[in-house]
Amino acid sequence: MRTYWVAYQIALQETLQRRSTLLMDRVGGFAIVVSLYSFWTALIGDKATFLGYTREEMLTYVLALNVLRSFVFTGRGWQLVGEISSGKISSYLVRPLSYHGYALALDLAQKTVHVCASFIEVGLLALLVRGGLFLPSDPATWLLFGAAVLMSSLLFFFLEFMISSLAFWTSESGGPLFCFELFLQFAAGAFFPLDVLPEGLRRALEATPFPYMIYFPVRVFLEKVPTSEALSLLGREAMWLAAVYLCAMAVWRRGVRSYAAEGG
Amino acid sequence: MPVAIETKGLTKDYRSPVKEPGLWGGVKSLFDRKWKDTRAVDGVTFSIEEGELVGFLGANGAGKTTTLKMLSGLLTPTSGEATALGFTPWERRPDFQRSISLVMGQRSQLWWEIPAYETFKLNQAIYGLSEADFRRHLDELVELLELGEHLSVPVKKLSLGQRMRCELAAALLHRPRLLLLDEPTIGLDVVMQKNVREFIKAYNKRSGSTIMLTSHNMTDVVELCRRVIVIEKGRLLYDGALDRLVERYAGHKIMRARFTADVDAADLKSLGTVVKYEDRTATLEVPRERMAASAAALLRTYPVADLNVEEVAIDDIVRRLFTHE
Repeated sequence: MRTYWVAYQIALQETLQRRSTLLMDRVGGFAIVVSLYSFWTALIGDKATFLGYTREEMLTYVLALNVLRSFVFTGRGWQLVGEISSGKISSYLVRPLSYHGYALALDLAQKTVHVCASFIEVGLLALLVRGGLFLPSDPATWLLFGAAVLMSSLLFFFLEFMISSLAFWTSESGGPLFCFELFLQFAAGAFFPLDVLPEGLRRALEATPFPYMIYFPVRVFLEKVPTSEALSLLGREAMWLAAVYLCAMAVWRRGVRSYAAEGG
Repeated sequence: MPVAIETKGLTKDYRSPVKEPGLWGGVKSLFDRKWKDTRAVDGVTFSIEEGELVGFLGANGAGKTTTLKMLSGLLTPTSGEATALGFTPWERRPDFQRSISLVMGQRSQLWWEIPAYETFKLNQAIYGLSEADFRRHLDELVELLELGEHLSVPVKKLSLGQRMRCELAAALLHRPRLLLLDEPTIGLDVVMQKNVREFIKAYNKRSGSTIMLTSHNMTDVVELCRRVIVIEKGRLLYDGALDRLVERYAGHKIMRARFTADVDAADLKSLGTVVKYEDRTATLEVPRERMAASAAALLRTYPVADLNVEEVAIDDIVRRLFTHE
């Protein structure tokens, strides 16, 4: 455990050290939130609700996106792709270390910094637009939301890890990873709530693990899902997480074996 | 002495896709990929005792790095056996990994943006070193490698030589019993090469660790290793004392004579092969068995001011071994 704690601290230092990268990341994320906010404000116009969302809920959705992106959508996929292609992965494989644990510690450090930054941004935005935010009063909602978000972030981590592991077999694994991330943004509800989609498409997406990453936690937060349904969705998310975790580990093991067979 | 490394018929094949030339070849390989097996290491057998410092020589692509990768557990052999410190390396057991280190000159385990000290702290945790051991080992390495002030500078700000020394320190912090060094002096200037060599020598002496090193730099090998293993095209070509390599593969010695008056270089041909003649100084390659006779004839026939007989330089021999001169 100490190893991962030390790795976390080092990664924290490094993330803070790369100030311009951090700044660019934040500016990019902030721009998305601002444009989504303007877009939705224009759509809602004078109406009391739009597609089942009040103005307040929509603002909360958009701002929550900023925080959730920072917490859920930060993985170590690109690092893994880079380290496999450059052969740096070798230096981990000869040490008594779990690469997954190590990558998770690094990821957590990145999340810590980005979530802190996103809270500042959200606070700023909330002040700017002077709109009321929807904050649930029921502690159970916060608990459910916390559990959902925690699993979402692990779900994303292992999904991304699995796709990045393709780099063990092909030097072109950056492509699938890029497509995955783009599709994910849409399918997870990181551009708009999925209930604005046609029924059929929404149902199809709900059969995948993606909506559990953003759409589901935010709906829990907005108390749009009754507790009993939230619990059953949480159960399903846990099953997805277990399945994705097992697959990611299997792909990783095969990848390492193939790396050992083909050479780095 | 107990055995540190033992290999028996160690063999490694690589599979790589074969692509026909041109665009059409690219399209074809998309649907019907053909593979080619290349034998990188071919039935290599050797054994190394604990505490030995062995040089591992071979041309580019001879299979040196592949062998080191198998011995460190990174690669699984296609066939054959190997044990290192009593373990099968590619099972990658934590106990084994805690006892070895692999340093590849061109790859870094240091964190780029932050001081090397932080990577050392991480390795302390990874290898489970107590604070006291960590301090003791680090102090020793800092002294031997003259790291001092470099420890607190972000790695990206260090020179290549400083970085390589930090790299070595990171790899040795846990006092590995087996150290595999792949081109440890690559890219370093002459002074730094010398420092790293002295360090490796001192470390081997002080810790009694087994060290296996590959290098293109013959000075590394000559100064560090009494024993060398030479491989070519994956096959073991020579395994034994460095001095014996000279006797075995250099059929001749070098005779250098300085004359008091001009002599006709063409006349010297009867004594051996004239490599060079200038400023009244001749350099000849003389077959070992004719050395005594040639030297006597030279002294008898010519006005010799000075005569020197030397062994062929080892790097020359190795170069010849690889180029089949």
